[in-house]
Amino acid sequence: MLTRVRSAVVNFMGGVMAGGSNGDHPGGSDLPLKFPYSRPEFLGLSPDEIECSADHIARPILILKETRRLPWATGYAEVINAGKSILNEDQACCEVLVVKKKPPGGSAPSRVNMTRRRSSLPNGEDLTLRDNLDGSEDLTFHYWALFDGHAGSGAAVVASRLLHHHVALHLQEVMEILCTPNLPPPTCLEEEPVNHLLTTTSNRALTRAASLRGAAGAPGSPNTPPTRFFTEKKVSQESLVIGAIENAFKDMDVQIEKDKATYDISGGCTALMVLYLQGNLYVGNAGDSRAIIIRAGEVIPVSAEFTPESERQRLQFLAYMQPHLLGNEFTHLEFPRRVQRKEVGKKMLYRDFTMSGWAYKTIDEDDLKFPLIYGEGKKARVLATIGVTRGLGDHNLKVHDSNIYIKPFLSCCPEVKVYPLSQWEHKADDVLVMGTDGLWDVLSNQEVSEAVTSFLANCDADDQHRYTMAAQDLIMRARGVLKDRGWRISNDRLGSGDDISVFIIPLMYANKQN
Amino acid sequence: MAYAYLFKYIIIGDTGVGKSCLLLQFTDKRFQPVHDLTIGVEFGARMITIDGKQIKLQIWDTAGQESFRSITRSYYRGAAGALLVYDITRRDTFNHLTTWLEDARQHSNSNMVIMLIGNKSDLESRREVKKEEGEAFAREHGLIFMETSAKTASNVEEAFINTAKEIYEKIQEGVFDINNEANGIKIGPQHPTTNSTLSSSQGGHQAGGGCC
Repeated sequence: MLTRVRSAVVNFMGGVMAGGSNGDHPGGSDLPLKFPYSRPEFLGLSPDEIECSADHIARPILILKETRRLPWATGYAEVINAGKSILNEDQACCEVLVVKKKPPGGSAPSRVNMTRRRSSLPNGEDLTLRDNLDGSEDLTFHYWALFDGHAGSGAAVVASRLLHHHVALHLQEVMEILCTPNLPPPTCLEEEPVNHLLTTTSNRALTRAASLRGAAGAPGSPNTPPTRFFTEKKVSQESLVIGAIENAFKDMDVQIEKDKATYDISGGCTALMVLYLQGNLYVGNAGDSRAIIIRAGEVIPVSAEFTPESERQRLQFLAYMQPHLLGNEFTHLEFPRRVQRKEVGKKMLYRDFTMSGWAYKTIDEDDLKFPLIYGEGKKARVLATIGVTRGLGDHNLKVHDSNIYIKPFLSCCPEVKVYPLSQWEHKADDVLVMGTDGLWDVLSNQEVSEAVTSFLANCDADDQHRYTMAAQDLIMRARGVLKDRGWRISNDRLGSGDDISVFIIPLMYANKQN
Repeated sequence: MAYAYLFKYIIIGDTGVGKSCLLLQFTDKRFQPVHDLTIGVEFGARMITIDGKQIKLQIWDTAGQESFRSITRSYYRGAAGALLVYDITRRDTFNHLTTWLEDARQHSNSNMVIMLIGNKSDLESRREVKKEEGEAFAREHGLIFMETSAKTASNVEEAFINTAKEIYEKIQEGVFDINNEANGIKIGPQHPTTNSTLSSSQGGHQAGGGCC
């Protein structure tokens, strides 16, 4: 029966692609797509190749072609799921972006004056170098991102095309400050920050004067009481970049919501992005993808996952404060299992938003409702619906057969971690590995680290394609081989039936460039 | 765009025998003397006509290198046809055919049509494997056989199309279960006007496809 359904799905897929239509949820919406379904731009696949890639039977591992290059010789590979959705709902993006100064005088937020570089240029590295030399006013950043879609591919496709533009816009806002590395960011900006920053000789005076006049409050916190300079908080350059990334995620989410009025943007997605700027790697994560750094064979985690379990207390607190969000059908309390009617009046283990441990409470009628968070590990769900608690999109997602919206419980806010890349010497085998949950569900950090390290050790060190081959090897290890009892990996463990996408970014190129 | 059937092919054989060049010659009608090493799988597609029907060939071109064998092995699944290629100027590529054939037979469906191809027939002066040897190997293992040149395009069309004809005949004989996509055959998107030419089993498929 399952095979028959899958057969129908796959055949339907062939029909959809051949017909030239790109919709992934037939009959769902009459609105046009904002971007047609595709695979990552940098793979440069033809429609025929995209059709081939969507084979749920053989599950081909797609890799970056030898004729194409990504910045820093980044490696990439991906594979489609084993049949859970028609399309591959993962998406990826890799770009080098140059942010130009805003044209002077323009007070209205102008379109971002930004050059996007062809990421597939074979000599991309040289271009970056040249630009850095003659365009000291420009701000260049490297960007890698993975998106893992659910309930449709729309949000992931849109985010993969647009998130970096939002990041660039927000970096443009503060680029004058970022381009003066030894200065702490002024607390309050003058109306023409450009001129003041560049002409003032005593920057401390500027900061103080600015903050003294800053009674109206700093941007972003309009209601703060008047600040006095001697209690002023020191804000680092890095936190300005973190703020830019956080606001970019928020804007991306708002844009998806707005665009849904005119376009068909299905589902939601997680987002994991890595940004390299001025010697630092910034890793922003909203969802359950993961990034680790492997340095001299040692694993350094640079992101943490957001799941119903990891975010239980935040979600419970929200539900406690705003019980109407639960629609009188759920309880914010957690119990080890569903409470049965006959247990009312007895004492049972529970925990509230204030607790990480457990205690006993007397069961009442209200506790019979379905728990806000239910299930364990990969099966944990919020409102019995969704297994990931941060990301973009999902504005229309509701609990099945009800009017309860999920979105209030989801956060689009990434956690951003900073890795001071330029402070370390990196060798050719030191890499950052980014993967969607399909990878990490079946392989531990240690297994990934050992696999990548041993694979790279067996490659020609000068082969620029080694990182893509290592990515292909990782996907192979996570997908496994189709046997009689499904996809299997080493030690006869179950392989991942999910979409899997992996970037392997060598870290030595950052220092070579500077 | 519309096709009656889609056949999935896989091209296998030692590294450097000209697999990618055969594909390029067939899909783009050009020869590229220096080709990057295929390091996993690459795809090509072309429409052909058999018995007045449009058939789309979806071709998976695999890496020949031993180190990628575990990856490429998983691509046999769901292939209706395989082109097993050796280089007539390199005896070792012919000697390895048995290993390739065992691999293919073990990991594919039993009905897969295998075409044995001795490539680089333009390099007659450097020939190490006689045509008769290729023919004998094919006869012994029940394969179709041709010598081709991806460079001059000699027999390239024929190799791909004859394989398709063989698959098509097997469909007519009812050997293939065309509703099981693991056989490497899909029925094209259906149009009411062409339904009359299709057999009754495809009507069943259409209902199945429509429900999702």
